[in-house]
Amino acid sequence: MAANAGNKIRNAKLVLLGDVGAGKSSLVLRFVKGQFVEFQESTIGAAFFSQTLAVNDETVKFEIWDTAGQERYHSLAPMYYRGAAAAIVVYDITNPASFTRAKKWVQELQAQGNSSTVVALAGNKADLLETRQVQIEEAKTYAQENGLFFMETSAKTAINVNDIFYEIAKRLIQGQPAQNPQAGMVLSQRPNERLVSSSSCCS
Amino acid sequence: MDLSSNPSPSHPPTDDSSPPPEKRLASLSLRTSDLPPDFAPAGEIEEYGDDDDEEGYLTAVSRVGSISSSAAAWKDDVEDPDVAPPSPSSSGYAGERGTSLASSAGANDDPEPQPDDWPRDKKHLDEDDASASWRKRKKHFFILSNSGKPIYSRYGDEHKLAGFSATLQAIISFVENSGDHIKFVRAGKHQIVFLVKGPIYLVCISCTEESYEGLRGQLELMYGQMLLILTKSVNRCFEKNPKFDMAPLLGGTDTVFLSLIHAFSWNPATFLHAYTCLPLAQSTRQAASAVLQDIADSGVLFALLMCEHKVISLVGAQKATLHPDDIFLLANFILSSESFRTSESFSPICLPRYNSMAFLYAYVHFFDENTYLTLLTARSDAFYDLKDSRSRIQDVLLKANVLVEVQRSLRESALRIEDLPADPSSQSVSPPPQFSQDVHSQLLSSEMAIGGPAGLWHFVYKSIYLDQYVSSEFPLIISKPKQQKRLYKAYQKLYASMHDKATGPHKTQFRRDEDYVLFCWITQDFELYAAFNPLADKSQAIKVCNRVCQWIRDLENEIFVYGESTLSWHLGIEKP
Ligand SMILES: Nc1nc2c(ncn2[C@@H]2O[C@H](COP(=O)(O)OP(=O)(O)OP(=O)(O)O)[C@@H](O)[C@H]2O)c(=O)[nH]1
Ligand SMILES: [Mg+2]
Repeated sequence: MAANAGNKIRNAKLVLLGDVGAGKSSLVLRFVKGQFVEFQESTIGAAFFSQTLAVNDETVKFEIWDTAGQERYHSLAPMYYRGAAAAIVVYDITNPASFTRAKKWVQELQAQGNSSTVVALAGNKADLLETRQVQIEEAKTYAQENGLFFMETSAKTAINVNDIFYEIAKRLIQGQPAQNPQAGMVLSQRPNERLVSSSSCCS
Repeated sequence: MDLSSNPSPSHPPTDDSSPPPEKRLASLSLRTSDLPPDFAPAGEIEEYGDDDDEEGYLTAVSRVGSISSSAAAWKDDVEDPDVAPPSPSSSGYAGERGTSLASSAGANDDPEPQPDDWPRDKKHLDEDDASASWRKRKKHFFILSNSGKPIYSRYGDEHKLAGFSATLQAIISFVENSGDHIKFVRAGKHQIVFLVKGPIYLVCISCTEESYEGLRGQLELMYGQMLLILTKSVNRCFEKNPKFDMAPLLGGTDTVFLSLIHAFSWNPATFLHAYTCLPLAQSTRQAASAVLQDIADSGVLFALLMCEHKVISLVGAQKATLHPDDIFLLANFILSSESFRTSESFSPICLPRYNSMAFLYAYVHFFDENTYLTLLTARSDAFYDLKDSRSRIQDVLLKANVLVEVQRSLRESALRIEDLPADPSSQSVSPPPQFSQDVHSQLLSSEMAIGGPAGLWHFVYKSIYLDQYVSSEFPLIISKPKQQKRLYKAYQKLYASMHDKATGPHKTQFRRDEDYVLFCWITQDFELYAAFNPLADKSQAIKVCNRVCQWIRDLENEIFVYGESTLSWHLGIEKP
């Protein structure tokens, strides 16, 4: 995956969004470190990783934000997805609630995000076929209707994990000029206002 | 008050299960006989041994165990027909936020197995207030809302404890409504301690014979830990909706609270309100402090380099100062969350003593298994700056060999009683025998039985000026965790009685019981807590304590951190 000299290197900010336990961290760890742990602890805030991927004669350097699915961090999500070149919205195929949550993330990205953001939908835990609850056709249809590209993945068996990142890289190269990942971290809201605003709707 | 009229546990708790206070609280005089039969009797409790049920924590941190089995247990619990489904408002926090995302109500009615549920079965999820095992636990902690909604329970599943929570709420509200505050209730061997923080109630039920002040201090730390995760602005949710269900906001933090409760029995920082440093040569620490100071001058609010619970170096920007409790809570949060160890992370965190209303952003990076850097800033867009700062710091630490020295100190540098210099008068000329083993090596074996000089077994020394403490290594005779916990409890009691406002500030206290002789000495500069073998002679013990203090002064450059931020704390801002 090392970049060849003379290659163009693109930095691409990529964010993972999805319900608690959908497997965001597991997908990232599989992609970045080639590891999988049976018990992956719930993420706090967001974890940062980087990984480069060579696509033909170009190199994409992903700067990956693995966000926390925990409810208390939802209002902070814009801080991580703002300015992202790509997003992977993850759900767990054995958990319909996580699919519902994934659709809400897609909606939010469409409403708040950049229209040029490449959005991928990942139906994770594809190894757990016996306990599947979200049908592949349903997800496919939803993805088509919303202009996402869709894959079922398994962080456990590694199926489609590199593929989904590779596909994103390809689309980034085809579709857009290189982006500055740092631009995405700018947030105007004051930190303390954020919880206030989020809590204002719990009436 | 009659705890036994608690709604029968098989009675389905409903959303409005808070009983009318006047019914339940005919009288506030509490007799042991009022308690449920298996809550009070001492005999049955003893079978759990002397410690307060730490096995929950120990199994939790070992982090093994199959998800599928815990998930199955969770599902069974939820489908228990006796348990009312979580109220619809449990999804309120995110659900009603315009742009954001909600878990549908359906999702809440049928919670799916989630990874964050894994420690819950370690905290005995199958238990509730009807279980004999639950009632036999020696120390319970609860957090609930003033409408009686469970927020946290050390043991058992919060949802199944709705009835019990309602009872606690009724007791507290009854007293609060009469314009008074409830502090604690005694019932036989049990003590029930209450802490009211706006809409949030914290309760400890314990038969560990700890002091009221000690337990109350623990509840304060529980509250502080909660604020660190959510800030005080969570109170506004209760203003909007008194029946707000806060428990989901603490999702995935069970290990944080388990580790905090565990710390109450092993970490003196929890009652001394001081932090401890990793012993290091002055030049080594200086190298670390210099580069942290550089960083702090460039827009970071606080920079902390720590090894486990020990501070290597800490600096704050300008007048910003860090309270020891904040250091403790921050370290507990970071060390108990595996998530921080996998990569760099950038997370909102509140320092309750610094500003309980606002989030700061914490950049956390582990250099190795136990050494980590935390950079705190108010800027949510600072990640890449902090990442750069970290790599600068890392370069310096590597060049100055700091990380290697840290590992060495971790292995070797402990204050051992047997290294206590023999004669204080000779200390003015000879160099301090720091961390050396040669002294008394002959005498060592005989002293093991009776302790060090004059039967000294252990000590804790707190510098009041620095808000830092050091403690000696435990001797063989106090090598079992159970014995260590017992000694810390004795220190805690001593601390409470020495700081009891009603009886004024004690200067010294000498206590003898069957386990040890305890000696406490408080001056303007320091507090010393020492344990001797039960036969120790008082005047000899006092002499040895003088030697300990001299020893600490000789070593102070290695065992304490001197920095601007610690100084300004005392010169500038008043301590709450
Ligand atoms: N069988 C199977 N299990 C998986 C897979 N991916 C993740 N898991 C498991 O699902 C659990 C949750 O995975 P995480 O990666 O922590 O989920 P997450 O989305 O990062 O969760 P949060 O950080 O809490 O938002 C862990 O126990 C993983 O081992 C998969 O592809 N197959
Ligand atoms: Mg995660």
